[in-house]
Amino acid sequence: MTFRTILLAGVALAAATAVQADTAEKRIALSNNYAGNSWRQAMLESWDRVTKPAVEAGTVAAADSFTTAENQATEQAAQIQNMILQGYDAIVVNAASPTAINGAIKEACDAGITVVSFDGIVTEPCAWRIAVDFEKMGKDEIEYLKGRLPDGGNLLEIRGLAGVFVDDAIHAGITAGVTENPGFKVVGSVNGDWAQDVAQKAVAGVLPSLPEVAAVVTQGGDGYGAAQAFAAAGRPTPIIIMGNRQDELAWWKEQKDASGYETMSTSIAPGVSTLAFWVAQAILDGKEVPKDLTVPFLKIEQADLETALETTPKGGVANVEYTQEDAAKVIAAAGGA
Amino acid sequence: MTAFAARPWIWSWIAMAAVWGATVLFTGGASAAGVTHAALTFAAFSVMVGIGQMFVITLGPGNVDLSIPATMTLAGTLSLKAIDAWGGGTLVGLGVSLLVGLGVGIANFTLIRALRIPPIIATLSTSFIFQSTAIWANRGIRIKPPDALAGFSTDMTLGVPNVAWIALVLTVAAWVLLERTIFGRRVLAIGQNMRAARLAGVPVDGVRFATYILCALLASLAGFLLASFSGGAALNMGAEYLLTSIAVVVIGGSSVAGGNSNVPGIWGASLFMFLLVTMLNTYGLGAGVRLILTGLIIIAVIVAAGGRTRTR
Repeated sequence: MTFRTILLAGVALAAATAVQADTAEKRIALSNNYAGNSWRQAMLESWDRVTKPAVEAGTVAAADSFTTAENQATEQAAQIQNMILQGYDAIVVNAASPTAINGAIKEACDAGITVVSFDGIVTEPCAWRIAVDFEKMGKDEIEYLKGRLPDGGNLLEIRGLAGVFVDDAIHAGITAGVTENPGFKVVGSVNGDWAQDVAQKAVAGVLPSLPEVAAVVTQGGDGYGAAQAFAAAGRPTPIIIMGNRQDELAWWKEQKDASGYETMSTSIAPGVSTLAFWVAQAILDGKEVPKDLTVPFLKIEQADLETALETTPKGGVANVEYTQEDAAKVIAAAGGA
Repeated sequence: MTAFAARPWIWSWIAMAAVWGATVLFTGGASAAGVTHAALTFAAFSVMVGIGQMFVITLGPGNVDLSIPATMTLAGTLSLKAIDAWGGGTLVGLGVSLLVGLGVGIANFTLIRALRIPPIIATLSTSFIFQSTAIWANRGIRIKPPDALAGFSTDMTLGVPNVAWIALVLTVAAWVLLERTIFGRRVLAIGQNMRAARLAGVPVDGVRFATYILCALLASLAGFLLASFSGGAALNMGAEYLLTSIAVVVIGGSSVAGGNSNVPGIWGASLFMFLLVTMLNTYGLGAGVRLILTGLIIIAVIVAAGGRTRTR
């Protein structure tokens, strides 16, 4: 789904939001493990922007968000236990670890609480999962590059935070894509930790020893840093896949205006938290919802660039917030009612 | 050999030269200039925070500043926000970042002295406050530095990056401060034995206060420059400088127990830390192997440097 279609769908459906009396007494909590970057900040803001009107309209009784200070699984487990004691009807969770808080999740389920995990999903079977097909994200990057560079070329891969499953999944997708398209060759790989300054540092270090690089495959939050490093080293700018951050999009626009530069940008919208909210509401409402749901990527292509840049706050992340109807569609797509 | 042993920083320089050589050899020497330039640029930030941390650690056991990453983030965020809101360019940003440093230093030492909280706990708690203040101030929005400032921080003069020049000037000043002034002697005296220093008439509280402020000022300056260099302040921009600031002090040959520090080692260790990652990246090793080797090599360098001091 492209940025534009999501945007249009959102506008068209926003007016039709119906009040569900069945969940008017229900209280939903957001358990979030980390708030220390712009993506997470946008995620929390989206949560507020969507859930506040929902509470005012009486769709649900409460939608409180809580963030742990230290990004530790133990801390988040304790936080979830508190939520159980506070008697929430549903807990929406972005987990610090896919497995480490399973115990607390199970306790919540046993207490009759609906648990919906998203982005950082949990493996505990009693919880719902709104997952992102990160492997496909990696494969899509190579697919796009195949269209741009039919003869292949040298790739620099910027990976995320070592040891996090998201990093492994995107990497696996990229590796699979490169295996299918032997014209491409990964000549260098660094860890950018999804942060512009870390990526810039890592790329600047490895760049002098690399042959000509045709394209940079990334994981989001690292494209602008890579661009800076190439510029500082005085090397021609390769095709750098972007990750929907405003500074990346602004840089892309600058290059596009100056030299017709073309690339694409892909990431998950931080507003996925609002999708999780509506899914939790639907489950509380008694809807049949499959345990595994998939959230679409937010992909920005050359033609969408200007629109995306206009709607993205300066210094923030391109975002989409979901409506109740969007959630119903995602649920229907996964085979639910 | 005695002259060698008297210079514990020599090991970080030897290690740095070895890693540099190994990296450059990989490309048959072609990457020498590029690698050196990148190393000088990124080591400069580690040097700035490393010097501050070194002075704090010199104060003796238990003294460490864990609020450096949060201070960098706060200073970077507020200074660029101030420039964006008020105009005035670099000077306004510099002023705001130094004010942040001053405030951070006062807050840290107030907790340590007035409330008698151990520095490791005090600075850890204040770092939550600083980090939250940075989040509250800008909600993770990246404000771009003005062009002049961004240009300055990424440019070079006489073939050396501007940020490295700044770090070099600060290093010389730190060396003079530590080795040639009464303040420096007092810091060392406190680190060797706080009680003895107090009995000898050293104003212990005043010196410790000034040291924590010095550390916070350097962290703020580094945060301001890093934010200008990398195109805006990010909420997690300081994260990797917590371990780095302590590691460069230890690898540089300063005693982690305090009372015995040196300035040149900070440079050797900062360059070494950057080049080590660069070397392992250049050789194309996976992240797991890379992290294990990083740990092992750092241990090896510290053991080599520590072995020297034992035999002395």
